[in-house]
Amino acid sequence: MRRKLATASWLVAVVLALAVAACGGSSSDNNKSSTSSAAATPAKQNTTLTMWTMPNSPDPKKDLQGLIAPFTAQTGIKVNVQVVGWDVQLDRIRNAAVSGTGPDITQAGTTQVPFFAALGGFANLDKDVGQIGGSNGYNSAIWNTTKVVGQDGTWALPWFTEARAIYYRTDVLKKAGLDPATAFKDWDTFRQSLLTIKQKVPTIGGKPISPFGQPGGKAFDLVHDVMPFVWAAGGSELSPDNKTSTINSPQAEEGIRFMTQLVKDGTFDKSMLERDGTQVENQYKGGHLAVWIGGPWVLGSVKRADDKTWSKAARANVGVAPLPAGPTGKAFTFLGGSDLMVFKSSKHQDAAWQLLKYLASDRVQQGYANLLGMFPAKESAQKQYAAQDPNLGKFLTAVQDGRTYSPIPQWAQVENAYKGSFGQILTTAAANGNVSDAVLKKQLDNAAKQADGFLSQSTG
Amino acid sequence: MPTPTLKPPVLRDEVSADVVRADAPARGWRPGRRRRFSRNRLAYRLILPALIFMVIVHILPMIGGVVLSFKNLNTFTFSRLFDAPWNGLHNYRAILFDSANPLHDGFVDAVRNSIIYTTTTVAGTLVGGFALAMLLNRPMRGIRVVRTLMLTPWVVPSFVVASLWGFMWQSDSGIINKVLVDYTHLLGHRPVWLIGDNAIWAIVIPSIWRALPFAMLIFLAGLQAVPDELHEAASIDGANAWQRFRRITLPLLRPLIAIQLLFNVIYATYQYAIPVVMMGTNPGPKADLLMTLIVRQSFSNNLFGFGSAASVLLMLAMLGWVGLWYMGFRRDLELAR
Repeated sequence: MRRKLATASWLVAVVLALAVAACGGSSSDNNKSSTSSAAATPAKQNTTLTMWTMPNSPDPKKDLQGLIAPFTAQTGIKVNVQVVGWDVQLDRIRNAAVSGTGPDITQAGTTQVPFFAALGGFANLDKDVGQIGGSNGYNSAIWNTTKVVGQDGTWALPWFTEARAIYYRTDVLKKAGLDPATAFKDWDTFRQSLLTIKQKVPTIGGKPISPFGQPGGKAFDLVHDVMPFVWAAGGSELSPDNKTSTINSPQAEEGIRFMTQLVKDGTFDKSMLERDGTQVENQYKGGHLAVWIGGPWVLGSVKRADDKTWSKAARANVGVAPLPAGPTGKAFTFLGGSDLMVFKSSKHQDAAWQLLKYLASDRVQQGYANLLGMFPAKESAQKQYAAQDPNLGKFLTAVQDGRTYSPIPQWAQVENAYKGSFGQILTTAAANGNVSDAVLKKQLDNAAKQADGFLSQSTG
Repeated sequence: MPTPTLKPPVLRDEVSADVVRADAPARGWRPGRRRRFSRNRLAYRLILPALIFMVIVHILPMIGGVVLSFKNLNTFTFSRLFDAPWNGLHNYRAILFDSANPLHDGFVDAVRNSIIYTTTTVAGTLVGGFALAMLLNRPMRGIRVVRTLMLTPWVVPSFVVASLWGFMWQSDSGIINKVLVDYTHLLGHRPVWLIGDNAIWAIVIPSIWRALPFAMLIFLAGLQAVPDELHEAASIDGANAWQRFRRITLPLLRPLIAIQLLFNVIYATYQYAIPVVMMGTNPGPKADLLMTLIVRQSFSNNLFGFGSAASVLLMLAMLGWVGLWYMGFRRDLELAR
């Protein structure tokens, strides 16, 4: 029996050793793949690229494969499109970048690019981007999303863009006697217009309608909704050297107080603060909100008869306006979207770049934007795209007012800290009808303290 | 689940050990042990794959987690994982004592919320489950249908429970405020449930609702195993209902209460799905539980060092709880064997 036990212990030891060796093996694989990537082979007829994409359009895989089919016919390079959900994409891309075992190309949210690039697993596209005009072809804010503070290089190529603009019900404005051209021009007119809607149009078509609504802490993109007001008040998310948070500056405070003021006025429907972004979007589409701030994809869904979330009246009366100018006289909007990144471990660097180049061409940019309801990333394609519809033209103005966050690797963490405090401020406003200056200051100080902690992370 | 009986404890291992000892030659007990191994050879072979599996998927990652808790693992060092620089006890100090560190505040909030959540959920589940079991432990018409209906919340997945209650708690259109404000006029204003101070109750109540049927089922099985003769004899001796409950029912069900207490506390402490589905990955300082905090800081904020240290502390706390529990209920468990 002792012999048997010895055998069993030996077996356990072997399995453990194998497991440890397997863990250790991945790091040597890393080295191997990164050296092999240095000697990338030119594109061949039988090359197959693997591309990770997120569910961007109604049928993401089929839509993208259809878009890429002419590229394959032209170059012989096949593309295996794999759809990765937004809920898991951060983990999967991060793990692929660190382990060196992943696809050739991946889509990444614009605010994620700096973090992924800082992991060291992605190719620098600096030498290639000149072929498509480099930064000249893009709005500077959009091009900014391909960079990382403190690390020279171009780590991504912009793919498609979104910006936030005001959606309003044309019939409600008409009934309230408001001129859409001036109703949302600046903060004062914006606030006044909402008050007018509250007084004059409590119902439309026999159904109650709230003047305004935005999601609160449940929205994953709450910070994108709030920051345009901070920017318009002259505030900023970080100091110019990106070392400290400035979210507790008087200007930032003013921007956020403007949003809470709308709650105090009773024009901001408090119940929307308990909902997430999609639920509030559906409230606007369902005809329960007169004014809402959203992205271009909603405009794209107006024409889609299969989108049953639209009420008849809301679908027929969609108007779009750029966000209002703040006390500085300037208007801003958040500019987001997605970029494409090439993994350093890809053995088909040349073919991957060819695909990126194809996807950056004006015609393909426009074709994909139409499928998604997003804006193309390239400036020339944006203009052609916006010429299709006057409301898209308003979005183009928003895109031109667009601003992005500083491309620092810790941005996602800083954004999480801000999101927590913004959610708390709006919650307090919803529960009490108002937020005192002391509470506002305390929450923003807390956000700044947390953000400073993230900014001070070191490599040592 | 063992049914409670009043038999004296029989410890099989001790019996077999005595037998082996009696047979053993004078020079020691080693051959006896060998014989026992020999007798259990098949059992050892059968548990070997499970043992190997446990080591690979459980013990090794756990050791890895403990190692990472002493590392400075963040956005910049994440790609180095186990090669990340050592950080000594910094992660633990930051979590437990450094009030200037924002992570400390978050941890203190989460510990407070987790204690409130666990105690109220477990108390609600056990007391409610016991009460329901007592109610349903009597012959009446339609009892089977009632019992089956009572079990329905248990078969609903946590994700669905949280989604449904998420709609029900909404302040403007949710059924709860409609009942409290519009129909019964119990409250004069519409409380906000999903955010702010009330948020913890918005997760406690659905958790109790979901766990109640299983607790009821176990207690019901226990109650049905209590011999009627005991109650009859006590009644003849003049014991009233309360005395019978305290002196007969409760002592006989102690082993079941013990097991349920152990599992429910562990399950509630590790709760993640209900707050996240209902309120998102950051439920706010009033409803952030330890698991939501650890997952958010580790996977959204890349603070795996912090996450590992917090997980180790949580693991130690749970080991402490299991130790306390064992000391408190050891007698009952021996009795139930």
